[in-house]
Amino acid sequence: MSQLAMVIDLSRCVGCHACAIACRAEWSVPVPYRRNWVKRMGPEATPKGLSFTFYPGLCNHCDEPKCTTVCPVDPEQRVFKSRDGRTKKMAVRATYKDPFTGAVLIDKKRCIGCGNCVEACPYGARYLNEELDDPKADKCTFCVERLAHGLEPACVRTCISGARIFGDLSDKNSEVYKLVSTKGALRLTSKEVNIGPNVYYIGKEKDLYLLKKTYAPHERKWENVKAPVRRRILKAAIKNLVKAV
Amino acid sequence: MKRRNFLKLSASACAALAALELGDKPVFKAACAKAGQAKTSLPGSLGAKETPSVCEMCFWRCPIVGKVKDGKLVKIEGNPKSPANGPRVCARGNSGVQLLYDPDRIKYPLKRTGARGEAKWARISWDEALDEVAHNLLKVKEKFGPHALAYFDHGASAEFMRDIFKTLGTENYTNEPAFFQCVGPAALAYLKTYGYITTGTRQYVDMKHAKAMLLIGTHIGENVHVSHVREFIEGLSNGAKLVVVDPRFSAAAAKADIYLPIRPGTDTALLLAWMNFIITEGLYDKDFVGKNCSGFHDLKKAVKDYTLRWAAPICDLPVKDMKRAILLLAKNSPHVSIHPGRHSTWYGRGDTSRHQALAILAALFGAVGVKGGLYFPTPVKKGHLAFGCVEQEPETPDESISEDYYPFASTFGSPTSKIIEATRTGKPYPVRLWGINGVNIIQTIPNPYQTMEAIKKLDFIFCEEILPTETAIWSDIVLPGATYLERYDTVYTFDLLTPYLTVRQPVVKPMFETRSSFWIARELAKRAGLKCFNYNNEVEFIEEELKGAGLTLKSLNEKGGIVSYEANPYRDPKKLKVATDDGKIKLSIEDFSDEDLDPIPKFIPTPAPPKGYVRLVYGRSPVHTFTRTMNNKWLHNEAPENHIWLNNKVAKKAGIKDGEEVVLENQDGYRSWPVKVKVTPGIRPDTAFMPHGFGSRSKLLSKAYKQGASDQFMITKYEDDPFMGASSHRTNFIRIVKAGRVIDLPELCPPPREIPRFSIKKTRTGGK
Repeated sequence: MSQLAMVIDLSRCVGCHACAIACRAEWSVPVPYRRNWVKRMGPEATPKGLSFTFYPGLCNHCDEPKCTTVCPVDPEQRVFKSRDGRTKKMAVRATYKDPFTGAVLIDKKRCIGCGNCVEACPYGARYLNEELDDPKADKCTFCVERLAHGLEPACVRTCISGARIFGDLSDKNSEVYKLVSTKGALRLTSKEVNIGPNVYYIGKEKDLYLLKKTYAPHERKWENVKAPVRRRILKAAIKNLVKAV
Repeated sequence: MKRRNFLKLSASACAALAALELGDKPVFKAACAKAGQAKTSLPGSLGAKETPSVCEMCFWRCPIVGKVKDGKLVKIEGNPKSPANGPRVCARGNSGVQLLYDPDRIKYPLKRTGARGEAKWARISWDEALDEVAHNLLKVKEKFGPHALAYFDHGASAEFMRDIFKTLGTENYTNEPAFFQCVGPAALAYLKTYGYITTGTRQYVDMKHAKAMLLIGTHIGENVHVSHVREFIEGLSNGAKLVVVDPRFSAAAAKADIYLPIRPGTDTALLLAWMNFIITEGLYDKDFVGKNCSGFHDLKKAVKDYTLRWAAPICDLPVKDMKRAILLLAKNSPHVSIHPGRHSTWYGRGDTSRHQALAILAALFGAVGVKGGLYFPTPVKKGHLAFGCVEQEPETPDESISEDYYPFASTFGSPTSKIIEATRTGKPYPVRLWGINGVNIIQTIPNPYQTMEAIKKLDFIFCEEILPTETAIWSDIVLPGATYLERYDTVYTFDLLTPYLTVRQPVVKPMFETRSSFWIARELAKRAGLKCFNYNNEVEFIEEELKGAGLTLKSLNEKGGIVSYEANPYRDPKKLKVATDDGKIKLSIEDFSDEDLDPIPKFIPTPAPPKGYVRLVYGRSPVHTFTRTMNNKWLHNEAPENHIWLNNKVAKKAGIKDGEEVVLENQDGYRSWPVKVKVTPGIRPDTAFMPHGFGSRSKLLSKAYKQGASDQFMITKYEDDPFMGASSHRTNFIRIVKAGRVIDLPELCPPPREIPRFSIKKTRTGGK
């Protein structure tokens, strides 16, 4: 199975924030929501020396996404097709992991805007777009819509220093595969949260150290998606019902 | 519902997306079936109409394409045909959309109704606005003579109007803060050493092919000029070693192999000691110097007493680190990038000399005209423009405020500090009218209090502006300019490693009643009765310029709006001839000694902070340009405010915590607006740093107003560079005011005997 993935090279990144804005422009992401962000760290002392680096982040399109498990929408059978014509039938909720690309996507038509998935993500990669009349969850799609047109993701295309490398991890000739398998790429995981993120980081040891220390998630947020959120689901369901009537 | 838009797919998109299965099947099919008839739209910026143009979110001017859907600009990308940036643009370039659609834009010509600075305006017609400006230009000239007119200018929008001031005969027709507050000293030093402006708007330094690089105070990465950053990163990823000298641990320092946290104001001491070291150790390129340089023996003699041991206490750096750095650079010579720097108006005295020292170091390494070194521009041919402005025989003033004070100022215009002084005092002659275009002078020129005082004395002040900046609200008439996305400018050529020719052209029509800079200048000239601007519109002169390059606007656009050329940056060191009078690189500059200035750099210490204070330095936020972008919705969201960086040991001793809000007080008693503290080991204990451009004082900038603190309003004391009259920005000191209580900052690295301490003559408090 394919798995789209991104490697971000912190030794090339200068922290210019072009990625974050290109994404916002491409997908009309309203301020202050984000699909794509740059957080700044340091200068701070690390055991490997002084570090001043950045956390360019986006949805990790995890191997075991937890956001998809908390979606309350009834599963529906769907046929997925690969680019080379293979098909696979699968029951999915309003958010799911595409079996052929590994991208975690949202079916906006079926999303009821309850916000469960937003709360579940340990990386804060999703938001509920309350600017819409009918709020929906939203997040990075790895720009699958652009990929279909032979274009790279918007953040990769605009990256001024070529710090973002994008491709298919299952392809052993891909640059991402080579970097992940040989360069000791870092995944932002912890003992508590280890769900197979597919955004990797490479760079100086001190910078990776500071990144991991500051931003590796420790809270299993998906386990706390509970009662208050249920009330919201109910509210959303009633709203939808009223609308239907 | 928005998902309908999402599903409004064109037939071709349906085919392409079939493989991806974005929607569930029945809906997907239904949407595609309708696609043929419905008004269709692809997701995101896909399928937009693309117009090639040139960015002006900063002055680096990257080629771009504007992507328009249903008449609305949705996205800006780099022009994929550009050899410099390709499809890439920085955060600011990406955010041009929000400059265009900024709700705070100046929409109509405005006339001041309240006091200057009060931001009370009435909407007037273009006729009234232009007539009023023209009338005042002529009236002031008639009453006080041509030199009573002064023009502050920056960027493409300002170029046409400059011709009006020139035609009116003032010596003050260009007073660019870009020179007098930024690149002037460095530009002069390189012009006199190498015969061309190796650093000015551009830096001709081949970092991409370097084996080692030296940056002194240059913070590439926070200073984001796309092709420059790319070459820096390419160089590093090809294995180049990097030495960074900076009192602050910058984004570039974070990538360095050797980082030297130098005492501010002592860079020239380090450079002189390094020169002496490589000369005495025989590490310089003897063949290159013997063949291509003049003045070597004078230089050798002049630097002989500057040893690393002498420099160590001055620079507050260990000898072994200084030695390690220079050996690293020497080992990789001649393929070393001795970066010429850019913003160089730091301490007034000594600024030109510091950059002259950098220029000499590159020559000693033979790092000129070779891969990895300084290189030569590749001029791109285009047609000559003749606007037909009939310049009056410039009437020389009895006492010039440019060359009579600073021998090398007139190369660049009149020093802004002198214009302001003449405006305030009427001496040596009165300046009574200011025109301003493309620059927010109140947040750019040192001592804004003095600038505002000068403005109060003027008979008339007008500007062309896009946003209601501080400068706009101090103007009598504001002419609403079109943004770079709504207008043509002249043909634009790029003469660095990837030469090209391109043109700025509108991607959308001008909004509201805004007009292009050319239209404004031409109308103004007409009303002032000046014979100027022979062309009816921009396209006419663009065609004329393109003709000289064998192109038309149509043929250029058919090529994607840009044409690339072969670069010719390198020279055979055996046949090197530079554009100085004798063709040699000047290690000692007679033009300087002719004016009783040092022909070879000397170390002139700048006073150290008074007790209780630290030196204020400043730099860039990577997502902002000057004070221009703080009101941009997207950029404001990335970096809404600045922080003052304080050393962690100093902060601890002074009881100041990270993230705390404080007020800064400078040596003259002026206080800043509240600003948050960033406590970090990445700054020297005797220095504080803040990104420039924040803390806007214009209430009409709804996002930028009062966000963070303005470094400019803390810079009240300045000295002029004796060579060219640029005014210093790093000669101010601050302490902290927390909850109304003044906190003196502890001194953890006291200056050595060689450096005098700044003494506060009179203390005053209660500055604004």
